[in-house]
Amino acid sequence: MRVLLVEDERKVAEAISRGLRAERYAVDVSATGDEGWAMASTYDYDLIILDLMLPGLPGTEVLRRIRRRNARVPILVLTALDATPSKVENFEAGADDYLTKPFAFAELLVRIKALLRRGPVNQNSLVRVADLEIDRLTQQVRRGGKRIELTPKEYALLEYLASQPGRVFSRSMIVEHVWDQSFEGLTNIVDVYVRHLREKIEADPETKLIRTVRGVGYSLSDEDRS
Amino acid sequence: MNPRSLRFRLTAWHAAVLAGVFIALGTVLYLQLGSELSRVVLSTQERRARQIGETLIAKVGSEGEAYVTRTIPILYAPEQANRFIRVLRPDGSTLYRSGPPTEQNFDPSLVPPPPAGAADASTRRERLPDGHSLLIAEIRVRTDHGNYRVEVGTSGEPVDALLRRLALLLAVGVPVIVVAASAGGFILVSGALRPVAQISARAEAISQHNLSERLPVRRTGDELERLADALNRMITRLDEAFQHSKRFVADASHELRTPLTVLRAELEQLQAEPSTSPALADRLGSLLEETVRLGKIVERLFALSRLDAGEAQAESVGFDLGALAAGTADQMRLLAEDRQIELSVSTEPVVVRGDRARIKQVVVNLLDNAIKYTADAGKVEIRAFVQTPWAILEVSDTGIGISAEALPHIFERFYRADPARSQGPEGAGLGLAIVESICTAHGGQVEAHSTPGRGSRFRVQLPLAS
Repeated sequence: MRVLLVEDERKVAEAISRGLRAERYAVDVSATGDEGWAMASTYDYDLIILDLMLPGLPGTEVLRRIRRRNARVPILVLTALDATPSKVENFEAGADDYLTKPFAFAELLVRIKALLRRGPVNQNSLVRVADLEIDRLTQQVRRGGKRIELTPKEYALLEYLASQPGRVFSRSMIVEHVWDQSFEGLTNIVDVYVRHLREKIEADPETKLIRTVRGVGYSLSDEDRS
Repeated sequence: MNPRSLRFRLTAWHAAVLAGVFIALGTVLYLQLGSELSRVVLSTQERRARQIGETLIAKVGSEGEAYVTRTIPILYAPEQANRFIRVLRPDGSTLYRSGPPTEQNFDPSLVPPPPAGAADASTRRERLPDGHSLLIAEIRVRTDHGNYRVEVGTSGEPVDALLRRLALLLAVGVPVIVVAASAGGFILVSGALRPVAQISARAEAISQHNLSERLPVRRTGDELERLADALNRMITRLDEAFQHSKRFVADASHELRTPLTVLRAELEQLQAEPSTSPALADRLGSLLEETVRLGKIVERLFALSRLDAGEAQAESVGFDLGALAAGTADQMRLLAEDRQIELSVSTEPVVVRGDRARIKQVVVNLLDNAIKYTADAGKVEIRAFVQTPWAILEVSDTGIGISAEALPHIFERFYRADPARSQGPEGAGLGLAIVESICTAHGGQVEAHSTPGRGSRFRVQLPLAS
């Protein structure tokens, strides 16, 4: 998978490209709008990550030009501007997704994956993690064959974590998906719900399933790393 | 009408001065006119009396007393002229007395004898027992047989009637003039002060959200123009200072994002490296937690600066505040249950207009605050109801409360009621400031009541959707 990163802040570009390369993406970096446009129009990329505040050609204009030339390439916009009008303007100009700085790198990865696959990450109706089974159609959860009763919020949280087993989800990603942005950052709401979820699904704990990654968030997996 | 307003005071003073002047003038006029008229009437009577003395009494010696009593009616016809004439002999007995007048019905026989006196001429006002008053002039005429006294008088009624009419005119006219002049003055003063009312109404309407507006200035060259200009210059300076601080917050939070992005991405990747030991990963995680927290503060500062810039109503829709409050409380229920806090919800349909996501932020922030500062097994209550013309949202708790010194400051940015309240990873001291900014931007307000140790109550007022 080949990704173009148009970002003028050298250190941000380095951090993102290093992280993406570690995930086995091929990354080209360009630091100006003009260069970014030139590269986007020369090569075929699977995905373009575009910062909006660029020297030279402004990001919005680059976005518009790429979209005019290539309607299909997914474009993820990065910006420090998160005012609503600008968000709307960029979606109209053809952005597929939007991420406000500073963001969790894990979130960038999840979004890139979602954009590349164009659809739910895991489309099976039955998700299995170790001996935990989640039936997305009936919304039933079993562990070791034993039925576990969850509240709707607990279920939504579990299903989200199970959408990519092993992937670390940041608290803000969880809040945004399971609740909405109003709850972001104000409460320990994620921690409380995760604790209750743990009590239910790890009641007879041969294997811990939900892993806490300090400073980042949570992941659901059967490999007990910590 | 406000009795302390400038126009009321000016008009009252104006009316009082006018009334005083008119009353003094009327009194002087009345007294002066009364005495002047009496004097004129009396001098006429005196002239008649002298005439009688010189032409008739002087001849008593040669012609006899009968001459006098015969001639007076012929020459002076006192009855037809409504005049009173009496001549007394030196011994005090009456030589002649005119009869009742034809038109005026005073009775001459009731006139008491003149006071004994040495003066050659005197005047007096005599009030008869029947109520009539007479103006009488009296002179003494020296003859060989002694001093005869001649009295000539006339009714005081015409003078009194004139004075009564004057008094009536003054009593009615003065108040009418004073009232008319005051009303005119009030209108004039109101007109002159109308620009002041306009200036204060506009100044009242100017807040941090519309500092670009200016007061109306009428180019009249008067004091009010100078006042309006001075106020406008002050608003301009305020505006500049405000813009400056707003730009600073926006720029600063913007500039902080790039380094925070780098920090966060690098730390996350370091932590995820397989070669990182669990102990190091934990310390990196601690750094990450602080980085995330810093990011939140920056984000909220930026949100506040946008609210200040009046961007609160990016979208404005009508929605049910009661349903929003109940729904939000449900989403946070576990937070309360986790600490055995009883979260009770009582809402009724309350439709308001505004940015739904931001109003939800208000509910979340207030509930979060209430749960955070309530001891385990306490109570938190959220209510939404109508109190025309307001939609009211109330969040009360049985928590630790807020001290009286802290209460006025809790909506200030970064204010810490006490160090204990800053616990928790997200406490940046901006939650309530955001609540207030959102409420203000929606044309509402928020107030806090608290009894330390007993609990707090936050009350949000938003305009009802019309």
